[in-house]
Amino acid sequence: MAAPELTVPDLEINRRITILPLQEYYTSGHRTCQGCESALVMRYMAKVAGPRTLVTGTTGCMYVANTSYNSTPWSLPWAHTQLGSSGSSAIGTSAALKALMRKGKIPDERINVIAFCSDGGGGDMGLATLSAAMQDTRYNLLILLYDNESYANTDIQASGMTPWGAVTAFTPSGKRQRITHHRWKKNVPALLMAGHPTGRYFANTSSGFGMDLMEKVRTALDMDGPTFVQTHDPCPKGWDYDPRMSHELAVMAVECGITVLWDCLEGELRYQGISRQQVEGKLRRRPVADYLRRQGRFAHFADEDIDFFQSRIDEMWEDWILPGVLRVNQTPFGPGGSRG
Amino acid sequence: MTATEQATSGTPAPAGHEAGHEEIITGCDAVAQALRLLDVDVLAGYPIRPYDSVMSAVSKMIANGQMDAEFIVAESEHSQFEIGKHASLVGARAFIGSAGVGWMYGMEALVVTASLRLPVIALVGNRALDDPGAFGVEHNDALMVRDTGWLLYWVESAQEALDTTLLAYRVAEDKRVMLPCALSMDGAFLTHSQHIVRVPDEERVSRFVPPYDLGDRRFHPDNPVSIAPQFNEDWVMEARRQSDAAMRRARTVIGEATADFQRLFGREPEDPFVDAYRMEDAEYALIGMGTVGMVGKVAVDRMRAAGKKVGFVRVKWFRPFPRPELRALLRNVKGVGIVDRDYSFGSSSHAGVLYTEVTAALYPEPRRPVVAPFIAGLGGREVSVENMLEMEDSVERVTAAGELDPTCQWIGVRGPATDPRYEQGENPRTAEGGAR
Amino acid sequence: MSVGAVDITYRGIFQKNLAGVITKELVKAARHEDKIGGTVQRYGDSPERNGIPAKQFSVIADDADSLRVEMTKYEPSNVVVVAVMDDTLTKGVESWAWYGVRPINLNLAPGGTLLVISRRSAEELLELIPRREYAWNLAILPGEPSFGGLWVYNDDGTDYRTMGAVSRVAGDLVSLDSLLAQAASGQDGELRAEQLREGHDSVRAYPVDAGVGAEDTYEPVEMPGWTQMREGLVIPAVPVGETNPLFKKYTTRTARPLVKFDACVKCQICYTVCPDECFIPTPEGHWDIRYESCCGCGICAQSCPVTGCIEMVDEAVFDSNEPLHGVYENNREEYEELRQDKLAKAGGPIPHYGIF
Repeated sequence: MAAPELTVPDLEINRRITILPLQEYYTSGHRTCQGCESALVMRYMAKVAGPRTLVTGTTGCMYVANTSYNSTPWSLPWAHTQLGSSGSSAIGTSAALKALMRKGKIPDERINVIAFCSDGGGGDMGLATLSAAMQDTRYNLLILLYDNESYANTDIQASGMTPWGAVTAFTPSGKRQRITHHRWKKNVPALLMAGHPTGRYFANTSSGFGMDLMEKVRTALDMDGPTFVQTHDPCPKGWDYDPRMSHELAVMAVECGITVLWDCLEGELRYQGISRQQVEGKLRRRPVADYLRRQGRFAHFADEDIDFFQSRIDEMWEDWILPGVLRVNQTPFGPGGSRG
Repeated sequence: MTATEQATSGTPAPAGHEAGHEEIITGCDAVAQALRLLDVDVLAGYPIRPYDSVMSAVSKMIANGQMDAEFIVAESEHSQFEIGKHASLVGARAFIGSAGVGWMYGMEALVVTASLRLPVIALVGNRALDDPGAFGVEHNDALMVRDTGWLLYWVESAQEALDTTLLAYRVAEDKRVMLPCALSMDGAFLTHSQHIVRVPDEERVSRFVPPYDLGDRRFHPDNPVSIAPQFNEDWVMEARRQSDAAMRRARTVIGEATADFQRLFGREPEDPFVDAYRMEDAEYALIGMGTVGMVGKVAVDRMRAAGKKVGFVRVKWFRPFPRPELRALLRNVKGVGIVDRDYSFGSSSHAGVLYTEVTAALYPEPRRPVVAPFIAGLGGREVSVENMLEMEDSVERVTAAGELDPTCQWIGVRGPATDPRYEQGENPRTAEGGAR
Repeated sequence: MSVGAVDITYRGIFQKNLAGVITKELVKAARHEDKIGGTVQRYGDSPERNGIPAKQFSVIADDADSLRVEMTKYEPSNVVVVAVMDDTLTKGVESWAWYGVRPINLNLAPGGTLLVISRRSAEELLELIPRREYAWNLAILPGEPSFGGLWVYNDDGTDYRTMGAVSRVAGDLVSLDSLLAQAASGQDGELRAEQLREGHDSVRAYPVDAGVGAEDTYEPVEMPGWTQMREGLVIPAVPVGETNPLFKKYTTRTARPLVKFDACVKCQICYTVCPDECFIPTPEGHWDIRYESCCGCGICAQSCPVTGCIEMVDEAVFDSNEPLHGVYENNREEYEELRQDKLAKAGGPIPHYGIF
């Protein structure tokens, strides 16, 4: 099947969108929540990947809500993979394509291999497979981690990427303990970037920044070798807010400096958009209270909790040599950064 | 051209003559040779003794250019099996393997490989499950997948390991089957012992096993499908029934493929499902799996020389289970002993898995033999000819006594057959100042 | 009657806790009459999704055997009351793929009562609710739908008002006295009692004869047997350019985006941010909406940079999923009249319907 020639009408406003094909490869008819930003990420991902693409997806919302027998929203070939298997499914798929093409068993062509996983499947259970995938430079693959900050499909349990203090089904706020989620969110793209020097491309982006997201997915797919993109996707169900606020919350997370738009192409770290302006000191970060107070999962927060949250965000911007990305405060050559 | 037509279209080798060349290699090496001959596309390995030497052999052949395949060193068995599963889904011939708790670690991936109906082949180097860490053979590891849609086979020799690897791909990839197959090999006795093996030529192998074709299930941009969406209660039973039908059809396919194999590679005809040794007029029989067959046959020869009418049955295919064969073979036998190299704590008679299966298979017979359960050779302990004689003796004794429910005996275990004080919960060790 | 069920049909997640309170408290109240009971959450609806229709049931029985039979079902039988927590649900319920949009009163027992929380008249609701082959009752509890979140419960009395209304329309299942006795044993007993009485007294019931109501277009789906399904758990992908034919999602919608095309600046943001791929380009650069696919999340309205261009309007005032740009193309004034008419009927746009 060839890519249709349709494109968005060329109009003055937001000209960058006009380069996109109008065609959807992840289409209407998925049983996701109202305002599901992860579904939007799937749409963006499929749109820029195009028809010569294979997608595997781990168990989670983007499995159960999307594909329920005998129904699917995918126009691309899609296959389920187990919760912790995004990396291994990508390796297996890519290795098979490589072997079959080399041996002349199937035509030799460029086929995108994308494995998507969630914060639970990728950041917790499947972390070892992400690591293995980032190491194996023989295979062209993209791991896309859609981070909605909990095990959302199973009705919202804390993952290693749930923000500190948030209420989930396993970390409720109670009469004796106000906060029961004690772990600070792990930074998976930075973790992978720091430990896998042979990975070609690592990126962090947000569903609220569609063009940034699509550019990053496209950049990843154009690279040879393993690549990783993480997206920050507001989840109206688990975060507990009016679904129509989804997009604004995604943007707000970046404005507050909680989510950072960055990528690392062949070892070169770059910041994008609002995050770049924040790094360059051209834009002040918004107080995290604006973001936290709009979500039911933080409704139990006392002022001191918000202050603590703010202090951790401040630290990652003010003390880290790579602001918002990697917690390194000091180099062997002295205190870090010429910014101070 | 169907697999059968393709396989039989060539000139069969004359009986007794085998093409190829002879080598002295281990069971693992024999499987590796088969993988080379089969032009396997993707292999994923993760180290655990004793299966892992098959992956060492394969990676060496790839490095030497004798084999063209993608070999992936996975970071866990779970990933290893998922890599195999997804490669198979793309249309690549895939191979995996493991042993003991490694096989357990990847259990989830094994289950979905079967439910996705993907003909991945695995080698299980049978190994005791942890704890304690132990290398020796026990069959519990491979048996753990017995209910999930895996074809299961236990080999006795390195030659059989090579042959069965070819057979496994032929059967598993047959359109009527499309199920994964695990080939079990006793740790140490086969994985690490070298045997004389006849290695066939590639041309004959490619005639026996046609190219792998997943058809309209192939994961490729030219075949837009969604694979394994979520099923609710309105659909799951139907999918399970399909797997059930595939496993039932496997019996027919195994029969055809075995006949083709014997013709094409010039082997003596023998039953595809069981290795029945001197069972023609047997009054007593022992049943086991794997290398126990070797000593079992020697024991039978000795007893026959002494005038006893005894035979041995080695179960080759455990899934599908050879119920018709066992019923026919045991119909006129007075007493049967089951040699389980595994355990099923708390099961009927506190015996092993093979016992449970054989007794269930015999249940519809109007005249059933006495079936005596034995547990032997756990954790890699040797099972000797003397052990086999001891078990046969016991079978005769309980049969003569008319015991319908003989007690399960642990053969080769040190200490008394039973100890009333121990059963009561006392500890004779401290009472007697026993060994520490 | 040996056993009867109350079906609470509600908006997934937003009303999950509400439905949970009602189903449990009804059973607890029935205990005051020496009845037994349990609750059933329709497993096929879980995990729930925001807005997607879901059901929970109270099962109340006189004897253990009747209860045992019902408690092993996904949907209990003899549903004597279907309580609808949001009146837009009366347009039908598509909770899972494949089963289609099912009428709200599909499983209502003959002579049973469909209890709807609504500000609309019986006539208006009967334009949406399909007819049955038997007589039934429509009861209306005046009110707005109560929406809460997964973690933060919207404790506005809707739970007890609904229970009071249930006792009015199905008093032999559970009486107001039993509910009052149960409420008195818990916290805020007086407030609860007031809410129960208010619900009991303000509900209005209308008998509906067989054959009265909207056309019933529902056709039960045929389920293929195991030999008719593809092997290997495989289903076909959606052909490029089409949408999923087996799940449409519009019954998730409580409000729909209505576009004032004259105000549109053609920025394409609505199209870009829509998670459900609803926006269709028109030759002149507007974005028409495929309402069949729209779940009414409101992100487009929220993201639209032009005030009053995309507005969320109560779904109950619409009777079709047809895209509306065609009307606009034909006659712009006529379209504006239609838009104004819908806004008027709906009482203006919906600014916000969550509690955060």
